[in-house]
Amino acid sequence: MNLMKLSERLGLVSYRNQAKSEIKPHIEVDTDICNSTCPHKCTTYVCPANCYTMDEDGKVHFQVEDCIECGTCMYACDQGAVDWNYPDPEVGRGVTWNFG
Amino acid sequence: MDEKFDCIIVGGGIAGLAAAMILARNNMKFLLIEKGEFAGSKNVSGGVLWGHDLARLVPGYWEEEDGGWERFINHRRLTFMDEQSTFSIDFKSSHFNETPYSGVVVLRSKFDRWLAGKVQEEIDQSDHAMESFIATNIKVDEVLMENDKAVGIRTGDEEFHADSVILAEGVNNLLTRQVGLQDDYVPADHMLTGIKEVIRYDQKVLEDRFQLNGLSGMSNEFVGYSTDGVEGGGFLYTNRDTISLGLVAGIKDMREKEKSPHDILNTFKGHPVIQDTIKGGEVVEYSAHVVSSGDKRVMPKELYKDGVLLCGESANLLMNAGKAIQGMDLAMRSGILGAETIVKAKERGDFSSQTMKEYRQALDESYVMQDINNFQDAVHMLHSPEMFKDVPNLICDFGRKFFTIDNEPTKKSREMMSESIKEHSSYWDLIKIGFKGAKSL
Repeated sequence: MNLMKLSERLGLVSYRNQAKSEIKPHIEVDTDICNSTCPHKCTTYVCPANCYTMDEDGKVHFQVEDCIECGTCMYACDQGAVDWNYPDPEVGRGVTWNFG
Repeated sequence: MDEKFDCIIVGGGIAGLAAAMILARNNMKFLLIEKGEFAGSKNVSGGVLWGHDLARLVPGYWEEEDGGWERFINHRRLTFMDEQSTFSIDFKSSHFNETPYSGVVVLRSKFDRWLAGKVQEEIDQSDHAMESFIATNIKVDEVLMENDKAVGIRTGDEEFHADSVILAEGVNNLLTRQVGLQDDYVPADHMLTGIKEVIRYDQKVLEDRFQLNGLSGMSNEFVGYSTDGVEGGGFLYTNRDTISLGLVAGIKDMREKEKSPHDILNTFKGHPVIQDTIKGGEVVEYSAHVVSSGDKRVMPKELYKDGVLLCGESANLLMNAGKAIQGMDLAMRSGILGAETIVKAKERGDFSSQTMKEYRQALDESYVMQDINNFQDAVHMLHSPEMFKDVPNLICDFGRKFFTIDNEPTKKSREMMSESIKEHSSYWDLIKIGFKGAKSL
C-alpha cells in the first residue's frame, strides 16, 4: 500500500459549509507571538492537518480551512498564541466524520 | 422556549447520550445539545467500547440485525515492535463469544447516531415525550452562572435555562474551563494526539485475513517502533468491512523531538509487518482527536460544582494500564452515574454541590476511579521512554535470536536474553522496570 501524502488524506475529510467562500475562522492565532518570541514553532509540525505552515523566511502562517478540530495546537502551544474554539455550525467550517 | 429543564446536557457523545438515556428512563425533562449535524458527526475514537454497560443502556443490543457497533472482540493481541520485527502476545477465546460481549469495536459517526436513536425512543416513551429534546447543530457558547451556580446555557443570543447542566463536551473542554473546574490553559504534558485511518476491504478478504467469524473481531495494540521513538502506541481494530489503524503520540514529546503525527503514521504503516497486514485496502477516512494519557494530574480540580457535573472526557477520564485503552466505557459509566445523581437532585429539589458531590462519591466507588487510582503507576510506566523504546527493542532482538536457525551451534535462551539486554538496556534498568511493573499491575 502506498503511503499517502497529507493532502491526499485531508482530501478524504468531509467539511461543513465547504461550498461557502466566506467562513468565520474558529481558531485565532496571534502569529506575531509565533514569529517573535516562540522558541519552537511546534504547531508547524504537530498539527495533524498542517494548518500551520512555515515559509522560506521561517515565518509561521495559519489557515483554518483544513482544521479537523482535534485540539492538538491548543495544548502544544505553550506561548499563548492559540485562541481555540469550535466552529460555528452556520458560519464556521469544521468536520463531519463519515466513520469517526 | 421559556420553560425550564431539569437538566441540559452539553454534548452528544457517549457520556452525554448515556446520561440522556438514564434521564429519559427516569422521566426527567431535559435538553441534549450537540454541535454537529447529528450525534457522532464530530466524534472520533480508536476504538473499542469495553465492558458490559452498553447492555444496561440498550438491553439485547447484540440481537439487532444492524446495530450501531462493528464487531465484538474475541481476539486480543499486544505487539512489541522494532524497525524490522514484531513480537506478539496473542489471546483468542470462544469465551468472549458470549453475550453481553465484553468489548465491541465502534465507529463513532455510526455508533453515536444509533445510540441517539435509542435515546429518542426512550424519550418518546417518557412522561416528557414532547418536552425533552435532542437538539443538533447548536454550539453552546457559555454556561450561565448565577452566584457560581449553573442555571443554563447560552448559544448566540439565545438562552436555555435548567436546574442543572451536565458537561459532556469532550476532551477540548472549553466550558469546563469557563466554569472554573479546569485551568484555561492545559499544558501538553499528559495529552496525546490520536490519529487514524479507516481502511476499507472486501469484507470476505478482511474476514479471511484476520480470521474473523461472523461478527467477531480483533483488537491489536502496538508498542515501540509504531510511534517512532515518541511516547505513545499504535492500534489496529477490525470493523465490519474496514479496519481502524492509528496511533496516539504524546504532544509534548512530539514538540520536543520535532515529530509530526502524520509522519509517524507513515512510519508505522511503512513497517514491513504492517505492510503485509494491511495490503490491498483503500483508505476512506483520515481523522485525529486529542486524548489524555490517563494521568490523574490532568484531571479537572473537581468533577462538580453547584448545578453542574463533568462526565466523560470533559473530566479527562481515560485509562490505559497496558491491558486496553479505556475511554468510552468510562464515559458511559460516568454519564450513567451523573444522570443518576441528577435524578436524586430532582427528588430532593436540591441541585447544589451538596447533592452533586454524590456523583463524585459514586464515581470514586465505581471501577472508573478505583482503576484510575490503582493503576497510576502503570500509567506512568507505560509513558516512560523505556517502555516505548528499550523494552520493545529488547524483546524483538531476543525474538530474532531465538527464532534464528542458522546451522551453527545454538546458544541457550538465557544467554541470548542476556545479550539482548546488554545491547538495549541493562539488568539494573530491567530490574527497576520489572519491580515497577510487578507493583503497578
